[in-house]
Amino acid sequence: MEFIKISNLHKTYPGGIKALKGIDLEVKQGEFLILLGLSGSGKSTLLRCLNRLIPSTQGSIIFQGKEVTTASQVNLRGIRRQIGMIYQQFNLVKNLSALTNVISGYLGYLSLSKSLYPLLDKELVNKAQKNLKRVGLEQMAEKKVRNLSGGQQQRVAIARTLMQDPQLILADEPVASLDPATADSVMRYLGELNRNDGITIICSLHFLSLARKYGSRVIALKDGNIVFSGSPSEIDPNRFREIYGEDAEEVDIV
Amino acid sequence: MKRIYAVLIDILAFGYILGSIVFLLQQIFDFSLQLLPLILLSLILTLICLFLEDSLGLLIFGFSAGKKYWHSFSGWLITVMLILTFICGWIIVEINPLYFFEGINNTRGILQGLFSPNFQNLLPMLSALAETIYLALLATIFALPFAFAFSFLAARNLMPNTFWGNSIYIFIRTLATFFRSVEAIIWAIIFCVWVGIGPFAGMLALMIHSIASLTKLFSEQIENIDQGPVEAITGTGASTLQIWLYAVIPQIVSPFLAFTIYRWDINVRMATIVGFVGGGGIGLALQQEQQMLRWHNVGLIIWLIAITIWIMDMVSGKVRARLMEL
Ligand SMILES: Nc1ncnc2c1ncn2[C@@H]1O[C@H](COP(=O)(O)OP(=O)(O)OP(=O)(O)O)[C@@H](O)[C@H]1O
Ligand SMILES: [Mg+2]
Repeated sequence: MEFIKISNLHKTYPGGIKALKGIDLEVKQGEFLILLGLSGSGKSTLLRCLNRLIPSTQGSIIFQGKEVTTASQVNLRGIRRQIGMIYQQFNLVKNLSALTNVISGYLGYLSLSKSLYPLLDKELVNKAQKNLKRVGLEQMAEKKVRNLSGGQQQRVAIARTLMQDPQLILADEPVASLDPATADSVMRYLGELNRNDGITIICSLHFLSLARKYGSRVIALKDGNIVFSGSPSEIDPNRFREIYGEDAEEVDIV
Repeated sequence: MKRIYAVLIDILAFGYILGSIVFLLQQIFDFSLQLLPLILLSLILTLICLFLEDSLGLLIFGFSAGKKYWHSFSGWLITVMLILTFICGWIIVEINPLYFFEGINNTRGILQGLFSPNFQNLLPMLSALAETIYLALLATIFALPFAFAFSFLAARNLMPNTFWGNSIYIFIRTLATFFRSVEAIIWAIIFCVWVGIGPFAGMLALMIHSIASLTKLFSEQIENIDQGPVEAITGTGASTLQIWLYAVIPQIVSPFLAFTIYRWDINVRMATIVGFVGGGGIGLALQQEQQMLRWHNVGLIIWLIAITIWIMDMVSGKVRARLMEL
């Protein structure tokens, strides 16, 4: 059984824009898959279809044997629980503490009444503290997220995702709003989760250097189609131009 | 479609111009004109305009005749309209500068009252003032839970884009707009009949108005929240209520409190007006003293109201500034 099997996936936005035009993709457990592609090529759309934050128009997504596209609301929540997601803008609640933000990652497992006063639940707080420690932020638990740096915020977001005990982490340009050094450190945390915890990661990136360093496989999207699939080392200047257009040339940022 | 709007605008414009002219003629000569010929005349003028390719409606929709303002027919029409509006306005409002200067002596009583307020009455007036402040406060507090609940249903980004979702959204929004557009003073008149003259009627009037306006303010605040956390919490497998609890409410608590305090501030001001028509409190006292021409008492009341509003303004401004930092 494949870990993830996407077949003939289409997404047409209400305005008529075709963001995905028949994606076929299989992902094995434990992969660190990098998504490349120009702005507007459909990376975010593909990632959000995977946990149905965006409903797809046609096609199927099988995640661990379960169909995502047609799952009932209850089953969908069960599937989402298994899938963590990291965002370019971190998507934390800025005026809550890091700890509460991390705890919110566990909501999928909690009943409504249990989620009312999470700080009273010792076990839950300990779990959250442990995950904050994993990303090196145990000192920052009480701090408001607003007062943390971008890199720290993204690490809080990773800790929040870890609360889900995810099988899969989707990361949508997780380092695009960070400086190169911080970007590398955040990627290192993702790499470690991949290696040590066996969490499968699908991560969209703009920097080839980071793709080469962390990715075990690279998929390139162009206008909603997959135009390349292979190992990061296979991307030579010719391949690069195929993905990014004739005039493109690689600039090394990190 | 634009052309149809343009024609309608032209008809209205000519109707307005002709109507104003007829009104002026009526003021000077005893002369009256039926509505029908007026409408017919403006229709005819509009038709003529259609052939000129130069009219107000066309100008508004951007088909300008390409002439200078003073040379174009539409520019000329606008000028005529402005002049007519001013002349008619002057007559309708019965403006008379002479009265303004001649009548100044009549205000002597009020001015004297203002500068020598009757402190003998301080105690009863203070209790009337307390009534006003409390009724404004209770109106705000009672309005809060209603507005809070309604605002979630009236927020575009929270209501699902389904038939029921949209119906609820539109229903609540329309209701809020209606209740808000009826002035609190009208509600006070209604409730004075309903529950009798007194502070309770005033409180109900202010409460209705507060629910409507807080619902609008709150729901707009919800619509302006950062959608990022909502997306993220949805992605963790949380239920709708959990999403509201963790991604929406933390973002809106302090602005909601700020709006509520601001509303209390507004309600104190409105309470004085509402009191005038029987809503109790210092407004009612003001109305009674003014009817009896007891200007020294009126002076005292005006001072009390001014000081209260000044203090409320300052305090609520400070508190709101603090809240926004949270
Ligand atoms: N909510 C939306 N409504 C309509 N069209 C959208 C929406 N979101 C994305 N699109 C369109 O779908 C296409 C793919 O967008 P997507 O965001 O998936 O690209 P991306 O590869 O993530 O780009 P970027 O690198 O800029 O993040 C684009 O043409 C975009 O304009
Ligand atoms: Mg994107």
